[in-house]
Amino acid sequence: MDNLIDQLKKQIIEVLNLEDMTVSDIDTDAPLFGEGLGLDSIDALELIVLLEREYGIKLTNPAEGKAIFKSVSSIADYVSKNRKK
Amino acid sequence: MNIISEIKISPESVFLNGTLISSKGITELYREYVGNYPKFFKMDSLCKLGFIAAELLLRDFSIEEKEDCAIVLFNESSSLITDRNYENTIIDPENYFPSPALFVYTLANIVTGEIAIRHKIFGETSFYVTDEYDESYMESIVRNTVLTSSPSMILYGWVDYKTENDYLASFKLMKN
Repeated sequence: MDNLIDQLKKQIIEVLNLEDMTVSDIDTDAPLFGEGLGLDSIDALELIVLLEREYGIKLTNPAEGKAIFKSVSSIADYVSKNRKK
Repeated sequence: MNIISEIKISPESVFLNGTLISSKGITELYREYVGNYPKFFKMDSLCKLGFIAAELLLRDFSIEEKEDCAIVLFNESSSLITDRNYENTIIDPENYFPSPALFVYTLANIVTGEIAIRHKIFGETSFYVTDEYDESYMESIVRNTVLTSSPSMILYGWVDYKTENDYLASFKLMKN
């Protein structure tokens, strides 16, 4: 799980252009939206694309998103249980 | 209204009010003159160029002074470089992952919005895609803006980004 968390952090930094941030700057359990990293709605859409492209996960129920994208920890948990690749 | 300051940014040089202040690239200019606005890194190249040019002209004005500033910008390449980057995310049916972050910048006028958001400007904004750089045409549009919306300040000019070696921002700031 630790490897997946680090991999997700690297992918988030890359796809969201979080310049000047490193893996160690992202708190695994901190909120990704609002406070924490302060991501916005476009970032949320990029994260959905990331899960589909990298892990073969297609989110079909938008209501799930809030819980899945709460933190890096929650994304890693969801990916580990639902990944297709 | 009188022109109170102007800036010209190209890959080779940055001139502020006729004085060479830097020969750095756009990101290096951001790090030197701004440095605390992470959204910069999410912008496309056209927006980054317009953002840093506006920053160097508007940074010494208060929020109140800038509030009704009009922004009138022009170019000839529209958002073509970003349009192509976005196209590359959808061109291969086997690797079809449209990028929302690229898509939102596939309109040239987004740069006026980015500048307005940064400086809390609520004045009129407009963006014109023209055949070529034409100073007299730009000035006629600006005169019309003055007549129709009576702003206390206008930021106007050319912002065109073709490649990392071929771009130009040439802005002027007019004030009552």
